[in-house]
Amino acid sequence: MTIIYQLITVGIILLVAWNLFREKRLAEQMAAALVLIPLILRALMIR
Amino acid sequence: MTPQRKYGTWWTALFLLLLVGGVLLIVSHDFLAMRVDLPIYPGLGVTSTAMLSDYFAPLKGTAADTMAYILQGDEPGGTAFVLGGTHPNEPASSLAAIVLIESARVTRGRLVVIPRANRSAFTCSEPQEGYPQTYTIETANGSREFRYGSRGTNPVDQWPDPVIYINAAGQSLAGSEVRNLNRSYPGSPDGNLTEQLAYAIVELIRQEDVDMAIDLHEASPEYPVINAIVAHEDALNIAAEAAMFLEFEGMQIGVERSPDNLRGLSHREWGDATDTLALLVEAPNPAQGRLRGRTSVELIVEGIDPFYVRAAQRGLLYVPFFEAGHPIDERVGRHLQTIAMLLEVYNEYTDKGVVVVDVPTLSSVLEQGVGAFLLQPNTTNATN
Repeated sequence: MTIIYQLITVGIILLVAWNLFREKRLAEQMAAALVLIPLILRALMIR
Repeated sequence: MTPQRKYGTWWTALFLLLLVGGVLLIVSHDFLAMRVDLPIYPGLGVTSTAMLSDYFAPLKGTAADTMAYILQGDEPGGTAFVLGGTHPNEPASSLAAIVLIESARVTRGRLVVIPRANRSAFTCSEPQEGYPQTYTIETANGSREFRYGSRGTNPVDQWPDPVIYINAAGQSLAGSEVRNLNRSYPGSPDGNLTEQLAYAIVELIRQEDVDMAIDLHEASPEYPVINAIVAHEDALNIAAEAAMFLEFEGMQIGVERSPDNLRGLSHREWGDATDTLALLVEAPNPAQGRLRGRTSVELIVEGIDPFYVRAAQRGLLYVPFFEAGHPIDERVGRHLQTIAMLLEVYNEYTDKGVVVVDVPTLSSVLEQGVGAFLLQPNTTNATN
């Protein structure tokens, strides 16, 4: 069960990272970077 | 219409990604540091230790496996069990259990103490509450740090939460309660980690043939069940008599009967699932409450909060609250004196008594501070 949610989290991380590089507005890039922090912490099961 | 300025490039994205990496390194260090147990220094009264996985093997190697300290007396008698740290955001619970481990002795029967019941919950703090990760108690020979954790099992160890949690006793609860040890009794051997932990604790009570089991807690001052003993009906007489004697000694305490229809809590399920006399004790912790001001180490240790003083003046609380607050010395002292009194009353009615000596009283803890009853940080026989 947990591994499925981890895989979903990794999928979202990839989408947000893709958006970070495609986005042309700096503010949106910053927002994407901020969103990545909790997602990566959970994918790595640190927090 | 003015065109929107766009400054984002691949280079800014790369820079932000590196920044995210830096932040992750710093916060990961902090979060991972919480997984290291702070030391406990067993006193002369501790005769042996066991792991909870000795009572339920599947717990071995998990974040929920925790140490039980056994204080065996020379004279044969019964067995008492004290559980601290069910909710690590209720620090007097764990600290009172640690004081027993470090300073109490047993002359008759046996005392089993678990100070970190939900060890996984000590490895994280509650999101959005601003809690510090540790608090400090001064001892005669320096400071000692103790972990201030979360109410529930670390989500890293048990994830995700369901929308509705139906526990092993059939009670429907909010989804987040799935990680609450004191909603998971009697537990389940093939349930989630918290249910397995609850099952292991019930197994300990069964296998050690525990006669009296006491679960230590704290509650926010606006919560109705506070400064109270909650007793399973089998233990109600002992709780009532102990409360009466505690009142004679000047300690205000009430008695509540464990509700029949609130399932999953220790005072109900321990008593129903085993032959033990099941009791739960509550003390007031302003750091838990919704009306509190700034959340800090001082609030946890000194228990002073002007907002609670104002709330008490307006009659909104279930416990008196003055400028002096409810310091951790008082809360730990209350727990210790209540445990001592419950055992004293129990011993009057049985030939399987448990005699525990050197348990600090409320007045001695208030006078000398709880640090006076903790062993020094430089003691060499620490356990984690």
